[in-house]
Amino acid sequence: MSDPILEVEGLEKFFGGITALDGATFDVDPGITGLIGPNGAGKSTAFDCITGFLDPDGGSVRFRGEDISGERPSAIANRGVVRTFQIPHELPEMTVRENLALAPREQSGEALVASWTRSDDYYTDERRAQERAVEMAERFEIDHVIDTPAGELSGGQRKLLELARALLTEPDLVLLDEPLAGVNPTLEEKILDHIQALAAEGYSFLFIEHDIDVIMEHCQEVIVMHQGRVLTRGEPEAVRTDERVVEAYLGGEAQ
Amino acid sequence: MALADFLVSLLTVVSVYTLFGLGLNIKYGFTGLVDFGHVLYFLTGAYVTVVVTLPAAATSYEGIGGFALPQLLSGVPLGGLLAWFAALAVAMVVAALLSLLVGVPTLRLREDYLAITALGIATILHTVVNDERWLFNGPFGVRDVHQPLTGAFPVSLGSFIVNLAVFGLVSVLVLAYVGYRVGGYVYGVDVRAAALSTVAAVLVVAGLGVATLGGSLVLAGVVVVAVGVAVLARSIRQADGYGQPVALFTALVFAAWYFGTPLVTTGPSGTLASAVWLFDPTAGANGGITYGRFVLLVSAAFVGISYWWCERTVNSPYGRVLRSIREDEDVPEALGKETFRYKVQSMMFGSALAAAAGGLWATHIAFIDPTQFTANITFFAFTAVIIGGAANNRGVVVGTFVFWTLHTGTRFLNDYFPTEYATQLAALRVMLIGALLMVILYYRSEGLLGEQTYDTGVAADGGGHSE
Repeated sequence: MSDPILEVEGLEKFFGGITALDGATFDVDPGITGLIGPNGAGKSTAFDCITGFLDPDGGSVRFRGEDISGERPSAIANRGVVRTFQIPHELPEMTVRENLALAPREQSGEALVASWTRSDDYYTDERRAQERAVEMAERFEIDHVIDTPAGELSGGQRKLLELARALLTEPDLVLLDEPLAGVNPTLEEKILDHIQALAAEGYSFLFIEHDIDVIMEHCQEVIVMHQGRVLTRGEPEAVRTDERVVEAYLGGEAQ
Repeated sequence: MALADFLVSLLTVVSVYTLFGLGLNIKYGFTGLVDFGHVLYFLTGAYVTVVVTLPAAATSYEGIGGFALPQLLSGVPLGGLLAWFAALAVAMVVAALLSLLVGVPTLRLREDYLAITALGIATILHTVVNDERWLFNGPFGVRDVHQPLTGAFPVSLGSFIVNLAVFGLVSVLVLAYVGYRVGGYVYGVDVRAAALSTVAAVLVVAGLGVATLGGSLVLAGVVVVAVGVAVLARSIRQADGYGQPVALFTALVFAAWYFGTPLVTTGPSGTLASAVWLFDPTAGANGGITYGRFVLLVSAAFVGISYWWCERTVNSPYGRVLRSIREDEDVPEALGKETFRYKVQSMMFGSALAAAAGGLWATHIAFIDPTQFTANITFFAFTAVIIGGAANNRGVVVGTFVFWTLHTGTRFLNDYFPTEYATQLAALRVMLIGALLMVILYYRSEGLLGEQTYDTGVAADGGGHSE
């Protein structure tokens, strides 16, 4: 087994009197990792703490061996950890093209003065950003709506846009918060195929999902959370038969 | 006062507030920062520009300053003008730094809290400027405002005829260009709609004319105006859109007022005076161009440069990040853009433009005191930006023009009512603008022009860049 890409240790988060994360500890290896657990287990809070949208009250997060806990979300994204949101956060008044062209990192035209002076780098980078936006739109089959304001997209198209936009930052690890929620079965297959293909290209994924069959079929590893802690972590088949998991989350269904 | 003088003064005010509005649009329209304290930077710009150029022994001034920059530069050719530009630059930098100080604690807040906090800080600082005489002379204001090159005016090019010909030609060319643009916009509208708009304009003008005769004719005039407005509404339905009929109607009413009224009151020479608006026959021995007209030209140049500057800023990947912050701040942050830095820059840029507007305002008005910088000015600018269309630089120009034309133009109402109603009329005029805002928000919530389109200078298909 290769070194873990992400190491979460003793992560704690309290909201008033409620304990959302109670010392969650897990490693994420390269490849596709599933994160499951009943509602309120702390999965989304863990995502927020890993990506800097929430400051953890305790514990640490290391990415490729470096401590990233407490950094700004943008700084963490620039290290190569990028997330999507459970409810798609499309930029409604901006076109799909603009939504996508926004994403590539370190564009020279993103600096105020560079937007005035417009050196050759400005044009080189912007042309590249536009090209990559189109490529990504084609790959995710949203190129036919590329000049539509993103607010007019269907729910499924928004999910695709969200994923495409995250990938344009060329991340090492993508955190997907329920990418399949509210998606029809055809599109679900399509998104999963994309994730598999991208994993083969070297991207790593950690994704929250409720459908146990999806987890079994697509993940190399599964982390099970319950009441702010990690219950168990292992290969899907081992997790499925784990007594504690069955009790906490799957109920009698899995048998 | 000739109508041309009124027009010049109105356009100067419109230019100054357009500049102010462009700054607000950077903050609010493009970045989504609801800065209810925008007037603070207008105040800063005006006071800093004035104090830096104030002579050391200014009459009845007890505040700080009297840096006497024009006197320091008096040996340099055009020293007074240079000093003025330098003062304006200082004002813009000071306003930008002040907005940095305000922004660092407040920009971490979400929209509505930002709005309230910004309003609070602006109100506090306004109160300080008003109450502390040692600062900028408090409520007594500042006289002796440095007006660059004022000694050189009125500028005359020679004989009366030469002046009339040269300045007149420029004036007529500007009017012709405006007419050409309006004509080009209206061209192609449904013929019946055009006819209805014309009839509406005639009815409104006739109604207003009858109403001015006074007595029982006022009521008849108002009825005729109402019929005219109804005809205009019919024209809008006929044309299936309000833009062209309203533009035609407005142009006709403006032409009737601007060229027709002097024809009735003073004859053809009055109409000529309106047409050659840049030329003031009463300025100096041979007539010429007055200082007020010069300030208008300078202000218009500032608007032109700032407009270009704002356009270049928003039509870029930088502008794209600003808009993404407006739409949903979490997205650019999750994609690796440090949104706080962008918000601070947006505040500083918008505030610097407001400061430039403040400096021009002081030069135009030649006397400043705290009453000119109340929170109203911020809300007027918000109204103008929303009327024209937020996130549209051209919309700021249109919105500001509509707003100040209504605000200033309706002052004529005072002539038709007894003076004891002046206070109520002033309130009524603000209510009229409020009513207009409601009508626009109801029928066209995105403003007259809506959000603009963007082009980063790279063809969308990945081809060459368009510069």
